[in-house]
Amino acid sequence: MSHTGNSGESSPASRRRRRSRPPHAQEDRAEEDTAEEETAEEAAGERLRQLDIGDGDDREHNRMIRSQYRELISTVQQNREAMLNSKSNRLTEALEEANRLFDGVCRAREAALDAQFLVIASNIGKEKANELHSEMSAFDSTAFAEDLLTFMGINRTEVEETDDSEDVPGAFLPSDAWRTMGEEASKYFRRAPTFHYMMGSFKSEPPAPKQRIERQKKAGRGKAEQAMPAQLKKMEESHQEATEKEVERILRILQTHFENDPNTPISFFDFVMDPNSFARTVENVFHVSFLIRDGLAKIKLDEDELPIIEPIKPSEGGEEDSRAGVRNQVVISLDQREWKEIIETFQIREAMITPLYENTEEEMETE
Amino acid sequence: QVSELVQFLLVKDQKKIPIKRADMLKNIIREYRDAYSEIVKRADRTLQAVFGLQLVEIDTKRHIYILINNLPRPEGQHLCRDKEKEKMGLLLVILSFIFMKGNSVKDSALWEFLHLLRVYPGKQHSVFGDVRKLVTEEFVRQKYLETTAIPLTDPPEFKYQWGPRAEKETSKKDVLNFVAKMQSKDPTFWASQYSEAEANK
Repeated sequence: MSHTGNSGESSPASRRRRRSRPPHAQEDRAEEDTAEEETAEEAAGERLRQLDIGDGDDREHNRMIRSQYRELISTVQQNREAMLNSKSNRLTEALEEANRLFDGVCRAREAALDAQFLVIASNIGKEKANELHSEMSAFDSTAFAEDLLTFMGINRTEVEETDDSEDVPGAFLPSDAWRTMGEEASKYFRRAPTFHYMMGSFKSEPPAPKQRIERQKKAGRGKAEQAMPAQLKKMEESHQEATEKEVERILRILQTHFENDPNTPISFFDFVMDPNSFARTVENVFHVSFLIRDGLAKIKLDEDELPIIEPIKPSEGGEEDSRAGVRNQVVISLDQREWKEIIETFQIREAMITPLYENTEEEMETE
Repeated sequence: QVSELVQFLLVKDQKKIPIKRADMLKNIIREYRDAYSEIVKRADRTLQAVFGLQLVEIDTKRHIYILINNLPRPEGQHLCRDKEKEKMGLLLVILSFIFMKGNSVKDSALWEFLHLLRVYPGKQHSVFGDVRKLVTEEFVRQKYLETTAIPLTDPPEFKYQWGPRAEKETSKKDVLNFVAKMQSKDPTFWASQYSEAEANK
């Protein structure tokens, strides 16, 4: 009654003021209203007291309950694995604890925490049920792992058994372990082989310009090639025929020496060695080998087991010697030190095979 | 159009990521949309006749396809690269574990098992490199594995099951035979897995 008609004040403000002071307002009204309202008011007060809403220590009580709930929830989450263990009763214990806490709950806020706990607990319960429900026959995954490692070729011999640790434990797993496994695995899959072009990708664009380029190049090269052959012919001639000429020349030298003294075979070393040039010595050996190959000369071992060389007379040749004669393959190795030793040993002073080019002799003299 | 589609499918299959119908329509079929199903059918026939491959729809809602091998498995050497082979080895091991443990395993259980084989999620592997990525991303994208989050877990946990490609490319029976071979036992040793494998044919 006293509050109506205050047009000066804004109504929401006055309404707010009225709401923020319910006890007083109620008391005010209690004074002004009828006895009926008094009893109603008393009943309301009674209910409020039952709900334990008030000041100070009740707030403390609620805080404690909330913290206990939070602790319970955190414990359950952290020990989830342990709880799932079928032999563990911890889930039941946690539920009982929550029940106990709920007795002290009087407000929605704590009840919400209780609900949160319940959700988590029931999830764990469902998982536990699942694990029991598993109809699969017992499968020992550890033994399976051991068998797999064996299949992959693990070498357990030098091992002292260490337990699972992050670092490589003792036994040695070969590098192709997984390839071995993969080889076996491919038998169990119907996998479409991946599609790869064998010859690489084929670009459809460039052909037109490329042809033009090729034609140009060919034209250019044609001219150059024409110039080349002329020179080449000369060079190649000298290269191939030089060898043949040289071989012939050496044969003639050999034959000449042998004619002069037909009964004394020439020591192979005497013949090929050139005391002035290691390189020429090697060339001589090379050319002599052609003679041997072509059956124009032969190398034998004399009484001292030293090689001697003699030409084969063309009349002797034919079927008798060239085929019937034992053809052996011999590899002669000669390095510079051996070359010098031979020259020393046999006292070779001058080359029997006279060198073709005189210039090099001057170079050699610098030795 | 059919041969273009066949080529498209073969190339797309290289990464083993399933092919979406939308991609096929956009890239190859385009204006011939109405003939789509006919083109696909003929492409499948070509794939089977020429390459011995089969186009299989693994998701009928979203129309996703994969290519699998139709030919009977030859015994000899397979013309696969090593990298592929090794991955298939790991995959088979994982699929076996999942099946023998009841078709669904938690990620923690899977990693615990792989631990025994010297494969660690946090550590670079000499053969597989980033194993976690291989298992949780590559195999999942290729539809060999399927992963689902377990609700209300904190930190979030996942469970692994066979993916649709695994279901098509191999079978529970084959996998059980593999396990039996490794452990030198008869497949009937694991009675319930055996009956499930038989029923699954």
